[in-house]
Amino acid sequence: MIVFDNICFSYGTRQVLKDISFSIESNERVAILGGSGEGKTTILKLIVGLIKPDSGRIGIDKVDITDKTEDELREVRKKFSIVFQEGALFDSLNVKENVAFCLREYTKMSEEEIEEKVGKLLRKVGVEQAMQLMPDELSGGMHRRVAVARSLAVYEPRMFLYDEPTAGLDPVNAENICNLIVDLSKGGIGHVVVTHKVVDALRVVDRFMFLQNGVMIFDGNSYGLMHSAIPEIQIFISELNFNSKENRQFV
Amino acid sequence: MNIKGLVSDIQDCYLLSIRGILGIFRRPFYFKDTIEQMDYAGAGSFLIIFLVSLFIGMALSLQLSAELSRLGLKMYTGKVVGISIIREVGPVTAALVFSGRVGAGMASELGSMILGHQIDSLRVFGVDPIKKLVTPRILSAVIMLPALTLMGDAVSLFGAYYIAVFVSHQSGYFYWSSIKDILNFENVLAGSIKPFIFGYLIACISCYMGFSTKGGAVGLRKSTTRAVVMSIIMIIISDFILTRILLYVLGFSV
Repeated sequence: MIVFDNICFSYGTRQVLKDISFSIESNERVAILGGSGEGKTTILKLIVGLIKPDSGRIGIDKVDITDKTEDELREVRKKFSIVFQEGALFDSLNVKENVAFCLREYTKMSEEEIEEKVGKLLRKVGVEQAMQLMPDELSGGMHRRVAVARSLAVYEPRMFLYDEPTAGLDPVNAENICNLIVDLSKGGIGHVVVTHKVVDALRVVDRFMFLQNGVMIFDGNSYGLMHSAIPEIQIFISELNFNSKENRQFV
Repeated sequence: MNIKGLVSDIQDCYLLSIRGILGIFRRPFYFKDTIEQMDYAGAGSFLIIFLVSLFIGMALSLQLSAELSRLGLKMYTGKVVGISIIREVGPVTAALVFSGRVGAGMASELGSMILGHQIDSLRVFGVDPIKKLVTPRILSAVIMLPALTLMGDAVSLFGAYYIAVFVSHQSGYFYWSSIKDILNFENVLAGSIKPFIFGYLIACISCYMGFSTKGGAVGLRKSTTRAVVMSIIMIIISDFILTRILLYVLGFSV
């Protein structure tokens, strides 16, 4: 579904991605790992066309989207449901209005229908009690859940994209979010999770990519990741608690 | 900033201002957002422009009364104050206050949305951020600034009247008849075209600065400051250019 072909990208003079190539099928569950500022979020933004690469081509469903205009990209974006870091909820709208945003924008649903649909979506992600709260009154975990509900409001996505879904969350909330990500991927819907937390990535994906200095230095399964001889990866996996039964089963 | 960056900024700001205004003619129309922005820009700025205009009118009247009485021309206070306020001081004062309050608000709000990925969210949902966020702000500024200027002019004239009559002991009747004399087509036109242009400039510059925010809280501070500073500079420069053009078009000799 997603094909990156020799993608290079720079922020000003700083080159973030250097000749990145990979392909992801729509039913795959992939994590992009790497340190801060390694270009993980940049890859998500490139997938949905929010930014353009300096060179290389990006294909979505065998269609080259590299040079598409904002209007043409609208159809491409409908295939994805993206949850930005910390949710990116509209802070001037309450939870209900955030989730109802796209419904009001694109459908002619009545107030009752919108209320019903919003309630259903919030129940699905487990935050129906927060309907009238403002985003700054939500906890980090609730923020992400509402963002997921909002991204599901209008379109049935073919793939979910998550940007640091568990960053800044306590272990309980992080686990809840991981469970939600796994639940949503049931039925063959794949996802790409950008994270620097290997523990959470192990819970939700089967395939791992590792970015280091703008280069993809690893692309493989959990076994390959855990047994990688690359020092940077070893530093990353050293955060795992190997005494934990749950983590041990992946090794 | 280098020359290339400056040219690129000017080009981007120009494109945003064109797309922003063209958004008025394309669906969907964001009436609710426009009304909200008009409320924020208009009703929210009413009191501050009222106060500033009142005291500027009073100060102007005091200065001119003092100076004109030395020349024995005190009775012309109303005429000179009226022309100054309607043609120049009123529109510029309202625009400067508007840029400080509303322009800064627009830049910081949009900048905060950029930093929180809210604009990216809009784009992912297929919503044109310029149409949704910039067009209502341009519309509200272009509608509300002239209205506020009109109110400010009236308040300034009342402030000037108070000083002329109760402090400088001039005839109130003569003051108002002088004002009536100068409220001709040329003066009213000269004073009423400017706020539309100023409003458009303030909204475009502030929205552009907000959209170009990067670098966290410090970046937000910088973009808000730049929005206000650039708006003020552009108001003053465009005021001079407009005055020159209007004087020429209306047949005044300089």
